[in-house]
Amino acid sequence: MKKRQYSIYLAPAIILTLVFYIFPLLYLCYVSLFQWDGLGPMKFVSTQNFQKVLADRVFQSAFKNTLIWILSALFLHIPLGIVLALMLSRKPKGWKLMRIMYFVPNVISTTAIAFLWYFIFHVDVGLINNVLKAVGLGNLAHPWLNSLDTALISSQIPFILYVGLTMVIFLTQLSTIPESLYEAAEVDGANGLKRDFYISLPLMKPAIATNILLNTAFCLRNFEYPFLMTGGGPANKTTNLSLYIYRQMINANKYGVSMAAGVITVIMGFCIMYSVSLIGKERKGKTYD
Amino acid sequence: MIKKFKVSVMIMYFFLLLVFAFMLIPFVWLIISSFRPNADLFNAPFAIPEKLSFENYIAVFQSHPMLLYFGNSVAIAFLVTVITIFAAVMASYACIHRFRVKPGILLLFSLGLFIPTNAFMVPYYVLINRIGLYDNILGIALVYAGINFPMSFMVIKGYMDTIPAELKEAACIDGAKARQVLMKVILPISVPGIVTACVFIVINSWNELLFANLLNQSDKSRTIQVAIRSFLTTFEANYAYAFAAMVVTILPTIIIYALLTDKIIGGMTAGSVKG
Repeated sequence: MKKRQYSIYLAPAIILTLVFYIFPLLYLCYVSLFQWDGLGPMKFVSTQNFQKVLADRVFQSAFKNTLIWILSALFLHIPLGIVLALMLSRKPKGWKLMRIMYFVPNVISTTAIAFLWYFIFHVDVGLINNVLKAVGLGNLAHPWLNSLDTALISSQIPFILYVGLTMVIFLTQLSTIPESLYEAAEVDGANGLKRDFYISLPLMKPAIATNILLNTAFCLRNFEYPFLMTGGGPANKTTNLSLYIYRQMINANKYGVSMAAGVITVIMGFCIMYSVSLIGKERKGKTYD
Repeated sequence: MIKKFKVSVMIMYFFLLLVFAFMLIPFVWLIISSFRPNADLFNAPFAIPEKLSFENYIAVFQSHPMLLYFGNSVAIAFLVTVITIFAAVMASYACIHRFRVKPGILLLFSLGLFIPTNAFMVPYYVLINRIGLYDNILGIALVYAGINFPMSFMVIKGYMDTIPAELKEAACIDGAKARQVLMKVILPISVPGIVTACVFIVINSWNELLFANLLNQSDKSRTIQVAIRSFLTTFEANYAYAFAAMVVTILPTIIIYALLTDKIIGGMTAGSVKG
């Protein structure tokens, strides 16, 4: 290809990246130094917005909760996906149907799922409390999304449970492992769990890296679950960074403060995502055969 | 030995079915509840309904332009897919060649992978307002295209990288132009990668609530997600209506999925193992 052709082929992508990443990034950093209500004139306040945000109890709670979301992805969501993928890769009866059904929640919108689980955890009409009452455990019935101790974990349950996409990515990786490897292992006496630990798991590392990246990204931008299920309550126990930025912008009209929180989120997100991608890169270039 | 094997298989089936039940029973409950009057839900929320009625569904359609919201969501998903795939395929094709500024270009494109875009609420809001696309499906679609581009580029480029160089060289020696090599050789081979990217884009843009909410004011650009959110406030006291509205919003995607299962799962299984 000639030089000019490269620029033509790259142009749409470069425009998208400049308009939706480079410009917003510069704008975010610049306006975070101003006091602004979104309409009136901007007033330069230097780093005051950052000081306000970092001292804000709600922001600290939002920061902590976002980290807890990422931990739930790493230690609950992804391991569940691995277990299910390893089980289905044995091709038990009906595995194809199960693979299809496990993926169903992933084609349903997060909004609908968040609402559904809002109702499932509902005190009066909720499925969980009513099942508990029906089996005689009525004293365990609980306002799940409204109590300090259960609100955060309850709002994470649908995310942790719906592992369809994560599982399919693992299954895809598993399907590339040559059958001969397992046969060779069988000759050496490696069956059952040994086969999983010594062959499948090590060879799944690229998919694990991909899934960590995808799910961390999801947790960082997750908005629907806290926004719809708890509204950030009770006592900001479930507020996360997205919700904090949104609230400062829409409810408080503090655009400068909202953008300062945005800058902090970008820096935090960049550090986390970049270190995760380094883990992934180390594994690259390995072949199985 | 044989007995041990059977126990482990039983544990496996038990676990698979348990997860299966936890995942899908909520949806069954939702569908049953959507056919019941509101009063019933409060009195005997867990009972099998005596009669099924479409009353809730009729009420939802009468009080809201559901088809318009649905059309908006479809139009947005379509626009995002076209814009994003076009940009990603063109750029990926350029990037399978060698040129001088390529490392810089790759860095620029992958930058987006590391940025949580929800931090850009104010910038996107201001940007879309300035170019006059506030409360317009095109404005929402453009933002989604920006958000989805880095991931789509990585998936498609990752796939194109696996195409043997001899194939491209052979095409070039035959005297084919760059555009012809792309259309006749590269594009047909890259279909699994493109399908994977499409699945991601459609799911993401269909699900998105934050920016659809932020950039919307009136019915003409309201997506189905923003609409069901408003049901909880307008139908506050009437959960039965909200249930019916939710079924209406999730049914179409389930039907599409049922029809295209092989393409979606199969397409991804063929193309998404790039570490």
